[in-house]
Amino acid sequence: MAFKLHPHKPKKGADMAVDAIRFDRKIWQTLSSIKTGVVLLITVVVLSAAGTIVLQRPTTEADEMQRAYSPHVLRILDAVGLTDVFHAWWFVTLMLLVSASIIAASIERFPNAWRFYSRPYKYPDKNFRRALPTQKQLAIADEETGLVAAERALHSLGFKSERVVQSDHFSLFAERNRFSEMAVYIVHASLLLIFFGGIVDALWGWRGFVTLNKGQQSSQVELRDGKKKSLPFAVRCEGAGQENYSDGTPKKWWSQLVVVQNGQDSQRKQIVVNDPLVYRGVRFYQASYGPTGKLDKLLLTAKLSQGAGEKKDLSLGLDEIAPLDSDTTVQLAEFIPDYVVSDGRVYTRSNTIENPAARLLVTSRKGGKPINFWLPPIEGFAENAQSPYQFEAVDLKQGYFTGLEVSHEPGQWMVWAGVILMGIGLTFVFYLAHTRLWAVPVREANGKLVLWVGGTANRNRDAFEERFSELSKKIELELQSLRAAPAHDRVASLA
Amino acid sequence: MSRARAEQQPAATGATLVVMVGLGIAFLLFMAFLNVVKSGNLLNESNLLYAALIFYAGAGALYLGFGVTGTESYVRFASLATWAGLAANTAAVAHRWYEAGHPPFASIYEMLLSFVWTLAVLTLVAEKKFGVRVIGTVTMPVAIVGVVLMQLLRTDVHPLVPALQSTWLHVHVTLAMLAYAACALSFALALMFLIQDKMRNESFLAFTSLFSMGVYLGILTRFENWGDLSVIAWNAQEKSEMFLQRGVRLLVIIPDLGWLMLLVLLVVSAPFVLYLAGRLRKDEALYTVANRAVFVSILMQVMALLVFLLRARGGQYPSLDAEGLYPTSLAASPFILSGLVGAIFASLLYLLLLWRRPDLERLLPSAEVLDRITYKTICIAFPLLTLMIAAGAYWANRTWGSYWSWDPKETWAAITWLVYAGYLHMRVTRGWRGRRAAYFAILGFVVVMFTFFGVTYLLPGLHAYA
Repeated sequence: MAFKLHPHKPKKGADMAVDAIRFDRKIWQTLSSIKTGVVLLITVVVLSAAGTIVLQRPTTEADEMQRAYSPHVLRILDAVGLTDVFHAWWFVTLMLLVSASIIAASIERFPNAWRFYSRPYKYPDKNFRRALPTQKQLAIADEETGLVAAERALHSLGFKSERVVQSDHFSLFAERNRFSEMAVYIVHASLLLIFFGGIVDALWGWRGFVTLNKGQQSSQVELRDGKKKSLPFAVRCEGAGQENYSDGTPKKWWSQLVVVQNGQDSQRKQIVVNDPLVYRGVRFYQASYGPTGKLDKLLLTAKLSQGAGEKKDLSLGLDEIAPLDSDTTVQLAEFIPDYVVSDGRVYTRSNTIENPAARLLVTSRKGGKPINFWLPPIEGFAENAQSPYQFEAVDLKQGYFTGLEVSHEPGQWMVWAGVILMGIGLTFVFYLAHTRLWAVPVREANGKLVLWVGGTANRNRDAFEERFSELSKKIELELQSLRAAPAHDRVASLA
Repeated sequence: MSRARAEQQPAATGATLVVMVGLGIAFLLFMAFLNVVKSGNLLNESNLLYAALIFYAGAGALYLGFGVTGTESYVRFASLATWAGLAANTAAVAHRWYEAGHPPFASIYEMLLSFVWTLAVLTLVAEKKFGVRVIGTVTMPVAIVGVVLMQLLRTDVHPLVPALQSTWLHVHVTLAMLAYAACALSFALALMFLIQDKMRNESFLAFTSLFSMGVYLGILTRFENWGDLSVIAWNAQEKSEMFLQRGVRLLVIIPDLGWLMLLVLLVVSAPFVLYLAGRLRKDEALYTVANRAVFVSILMQVMALLVFLLRARGGQYPSLDAEGLYPTSLAASPFILSGLVGAIFASLLYLLLLWRRPDLERLLPSAEVLDRITYKTICIAFPLLTLMIAAGAYWANRTWGSYWSWDPKETWAAITWLVYAGYLHMRVTRGWRGRRAAYFAILGFVVVMFTFFGVTYLLPGLHAYA
């Protein structure tokens, strides 16, 4: 079924139209037509669906892409931008076109709606009365009785009626939720606001990553595209940790962060997953947590090589020196996480603590050169026998890093405002119908006086029909009671 | 005399079914009770679920009986059974919630639990409020499949991983459930509208056949090695899927199942092909052949289901990605299983339509009313969808650091939203009513189903939880 262009607009004469339509006018009409809107939306749907089926670049690793597609196909996909649909220039252009179409369509239709909104139609003329589908005629004795009955009935249904003055008589007008006529523009505006926020974020927003060890401080963010960004402030990690459930699955990751600006601590917060730190529009999220492979503390016991002596507990960080007695000190000179011996040297194979070794330097003030004490005693290096003290490793504490996702989204407030506005707009659109009711005393051709009652609602018409029949019943009841009651409380008839 | 007896007969069979279902429920409950008394633990979740299953099965049988014969009393008892099942289901949900300390949305099992509950509530609402009484014929079997699937899934209470510890999760998932349930309702109503709108049986035939084709095509995305079908490996002790590495599932291949599925695909597409031929040649006789082809296709589908049940229920199978043999289980393939069952179910519904159309037309509300209720349902679904997406975006913003990351599930949720927005625009500004609007509502629900199942099953992304 083809769409018709502007069926609600008055048809112009064919000859006039040809003259009048200029090129830009034609563009405007195309842009504002609902047909264009639908075509654009279908295109958006198809392209975004394609973007979920083809693997996307930033989220999928490069080698995975190469595994999934042949080089030839991958080259084509990359060239047309299908591997990063949502950031491709044509997708952004499409979104701009959609925005333009919404704006144009709203501008095109707004004046009519505004006229309708700002100048309510209060007195239904003859043609309107004839054409209105929901109406009823009730016989009345005189105009005033009819109007008073209608007023009372409207009042009991919660409508505030208004008397409209005509040249020779009054009529009644009552309405509710007139604002609902404007609501669709609110929804469109909110959609534009969301788009606009998204565009602002796409242009000026950024996302990156910071890895911090405990005690470390940094103002450098590694962005998604591999570039570095310097922040005008630094962030320091004072601690990070993981808590587990009893079955060993992680329950909570946390990092204690401090924002440092101009050398001063200006904000501090413990962040957890779902609760970021926000400083000057830059947000720090808990993203990952894990061991650095570096040593934090080595726990040792020391005992004199000769003679009986008590075991002494020591806790050493890298390069840290601890006194053993008045003459002797020990220093943790080297820590190798995953050691291997080859070519007469000690190397590390990896950065994870798999096969650790430590070199302690035992120095005595009495002279002699410092002694290398190795844990474990690696042959050819260890001088353990010469040491006045013997050491035993008890435990080692690893260092942990915390991974922070950093983002700056200056447009997000527009997005949230748009979301709230949309919620309000949709509520008005769907749940609050603009209801209008009229009551006009009319003298029919046969001379009988009747009260013409009619009404419309822009949504939920069947519910409205029910209310309308309720209203007309109420008016009849009021008319009956007025007929029964003496006329003392009536105002003199205007006729 | 003979005439009077003939008239009495339907009433008599009506009572028979009610009594049979009632006795069945009582018997099963009694047996279950004996078992429970032996184990000494009355009110645990699996017992409650079992009770719910029994009641839902009874309700389903009665609703089906109502759909076929139109006997009024069936519906009354069916509602009663549904109420009882819902009570047990509610107790199971409450128990779960209490045990886990969070609303039951964290795993597929908990999602199903909530989904079945929502479905039962909606059935009763549709029946009592809108007078759409045959709805149980459709929803109860779905609920039964849901409860049966739950028996296969891992039921122990998972602690929530850190990303899921957010109130916004509950808001998001609750809204999603409500929105999708409203969409499902609008879909069912649109189908009923098409029945009342005198759409020809052949068109329904084409729809049914297309649906089955879609299911088998989806299953055949797992076609491997010219004739095998790959399914996910299952660790029976842990009751969990096996992983090759983080995020990459280990697939095992079941030999020859792929061929069978391909064959069934051909058979289920036969009615559609015959329908097309009938349309092109304007040959009504071909439609009759197509209807016969539906019978054949149902038989083949049942066979495919049985073979799948037998092969995928257990056993050790090789994998393409790793050495050795690995076990699998039905629980590892919930989507394939529900697809197979769903396709059979759709075909059976078509048969019901084919045989009982006049009765159905008498039972359903008028086309005009159905059209209006469909629109109203979508008027409820659309704001819910909007809020669901907004809540999801807010949660994502707090967890992943971005309110919108074009993850497949997000994108498809947006597509769903756009489709329903399209429906509303067409209805309000173009005055689309009746059949076109019904097609649109059906399309919307197809997209919803893809967002709910297809994205999880076919596309990779962040929404790994559900």
